Amino acid sequence: MSQMSEPSADAAVTEAPAPVSQSETKQSPAGKKLNKKKVEEVVEEEEEEYVVEKVLDRRVVKGRVEYLLKWKGFTDVDNTWEPEENLDCPDLIAEFLQSQKTAESGGKRRAESDGDGKETKKRKDEPEKLRGFARGLDPERIIGATDSSGELMFLMKWKNSDEADLVPAKEANAKCPQVVISFYEERLTWHSYPTEEEEKKDDKH
Amino acid sequence: MPTENLSDKRMSKFKNKGKEPMKMRDRRIAECVELRKAHKVESIMKKRNISSVGDEPLSPADNTDNKQVISETIQEIVANVNGDCPEKQRQGCQAARKLLSRERNPPLKEIIEAGLLTRFVEFLGRNDDPTLQFEAAWSLTNVASGTSWHTQQVVEHGAVPAFIALLASPMLNISEQAVWALGNIAGDGPSYRDGLIDCGVIPALLARLTPDAPVGYLRNLTWTLSNLCRNKNPFPRFSAVQQMLPSIIQLLHHSDKSILSDACWAVSYLTDGPNERIDVVIKTGILPRLVELLGFEELTVVTPALRSIGNIVSGSDLQTQAAIDAGVLSALPQLMRHPKSSVQKEAAWAVSNIAAGPCQQIQQLITCGLLAPLVDLLRNGDFKTQREAVWAVTNYTSGGTVDQVVHLVKCGALEAILNLLQAKDTKTVLVILDAINNIFLAAEKLGEVDKLCLLVEEVGGLDRIEFLQNHENNAVYRAAQALIEKYFSEDGDDQCLTTEATDSNFVFGASDLQKRFDF
Repeated sequence: MSQMSEPSADAAVTEAPAPVSQSETKQSPAGKKLNKKKVEEVVEEEEEEYVVEKVLDRRVVKGRVEYLLKWKGFTDVDNTWEPEENLDCPDLIAEFLQSQKTAESGGKRRAESDGDGKETKKRKDEPEKLRGFARGLDPERIIGATDSSGELMFLMKWKNSDEADLVPAKEANAKCPQVVISFYEERLTWHSYPTEEEEKKDDKH
Repeated sequence: MPTENLSDKRMSKFKNKGKEPMKMRDRRIAECVELRKAHKVESIMKKRNISSVGDEPLSPADNTDNKQVISETIQEIVANVNGDCPEKQRQGCQAARKLLSRERNPPLKEIIEAGLLTRFVEFLGRNDDPTLQFEAAWSLTNVASGTSWHTQQVVEHGAVPAFIALLASPMLNISEQAVWALGNIAGDGPSYRDGLIDCGVIPALLARLTPDAPVGYLRNLTWTLSNLCRNKNPFPRFSAVQQMLPSIIQLLHHSDKSILSDACWAVSYLTDGPNERIDVVIKTGILPRLVELLGFEELTVVTPALRSIGNIVSGSDLQTQAAIDAGVLSALPQLMRHPKSSVQKEAAWAVSNIAAGPCQQIQQLITCGLLAPLVDLLRNGDFKTQREAVWAVTNYTSGGTVDQVVHLVKCGALEAILNLLQAKDTKTVLVILDAINNIFLAAEKLGEVDKLCLLVEEVGGLDRIEFLQNHENNAVYRAAQALIEKYFSEDGDDQCLTTEATDSNFVFGASDLQKRFDF
């Protein structure tokens, strides 16, 4: 149940890197082999220093407390269980026990990540019918304008098609300015401003 | 003079010159009708999600499922796409796009096996032919939306640099399609996500995040950004997160609900990690906005906002305090009463983590009125919610002061958890027994153990605990036993025979703890 931290180059390290006292911990990555080595090559053994990087787990086997150790410079494949009495890294053990405490007795629990709910990939479906300029047709003329959607839109009659549809004015201004100008010119009206006398005489329309 | 003729011609186009009033009126009416029709058609199509026949010729692909037909269609596509005629290339690409975007069983595999991806990726670079680019981009998007294998095919055909380049396309629909395709690739997993980041996707995306970008475009952009924040093992690297965060924060202030939802999901991914990750998010000052989003009506916004908050309060005490200071405790009660049980559950989970903090934070749970809704959930929530609420009680009783524990009991929490002892879930039962133990410890300090025993018995809790002594799970029956032994054993006439299972053999005997209880 213990968490293994991901080796991450830019993760801020909250755990103290192995201080001097830990580096003096001489342990072999494989407890059993240590005994063998002691018998065969004592000299070599003393020159090799194995440094405990982190305490990962705890168990009790036949009444003895053992800790699962991650060794510095070795991968997780080489983690080993070592009896408590063989260890000399009280800080790391304390840190582990502390983390266990928060994890189990009245401690914080992380999210379960069950059903993140948001799709990882999305397919773009056919329903989006290509409209307006995306249809790839040539504009013939604009037959109307509206801004009821909040944005000024032109109703565009396309060449070789009976189906007119709406295009944003912005797009039409850029893509077919002459067509737009035609539309506006067709609808230009000149208002003459009546003089006072003419106003009195004017009929109501 | 030619000029005069020209100006005459144009003059005749002017609105009211030399035209009969009736004719003009008719024209105006016809225009209005056309406009109304076009509007109506547009909104109907949006609602029904149908494509009308229009100009595009009915392709044989519309003939759907027939494998034979598909195979023939694909052959035709291959022929068109491999030729030199641009019109045919466009046709082929469009036909492929239609196959790939139909409702049922789009033939992703067949398209891939026909070797079409190479050409599609090539077409992505055809800046001279935007329609071709668009159809190719859409087709590749849909292939990449399949399984990991499908996405892999797209990536291995070199689509990534081409799509990243298309992000800068002046054609908005093409740029948007590229955003979408890249979102699919990023969503495949951490490996491609990081690959995209290495190719510089983030600056290219952020460059398109402008105030005048249309909402639809921003929606796709936000979704793709969220996929770039997603996945653990490994998390996205810090430098990438730092690049994206300011924009995500910006998007969290948008008014569109889809954008808000995806931006919140991004935050939820970024906060789902070790405390250092949570810190980076908190430092943006986003907490007040997150709390605000908790109060929104839309479930699509509330869900990821609540998940984000839940992640944050699962961090350190300081981080939890930051959330509390931002007002999360005033938002939680209504979430605990939310009509959706998933929201209730997540809210209870958040409360359970706040209750795992120091007693000052537990006190804030009390003052902000979270206990009553919590007890409600214990009584009436669905099982998953009750489970979270039980954790809240255990954490609370573990870290709370004696007075705080008493207060919780007075709110009815003890009775509620005793009722849950009949749950099938072993872990939950253990957590409840833990809570009961904690409550008794508090009672001990007050010298009120017998009162508590009475209370427990009155509500039928003693029966349940006794029953648990027969539970199949070791930890459960031992915990139940321990409780009975410590607080409920009597001497005299009613000898409680308890069994002590030791390593060696069973020993039947009266419990060592002989206490007289006066009722």
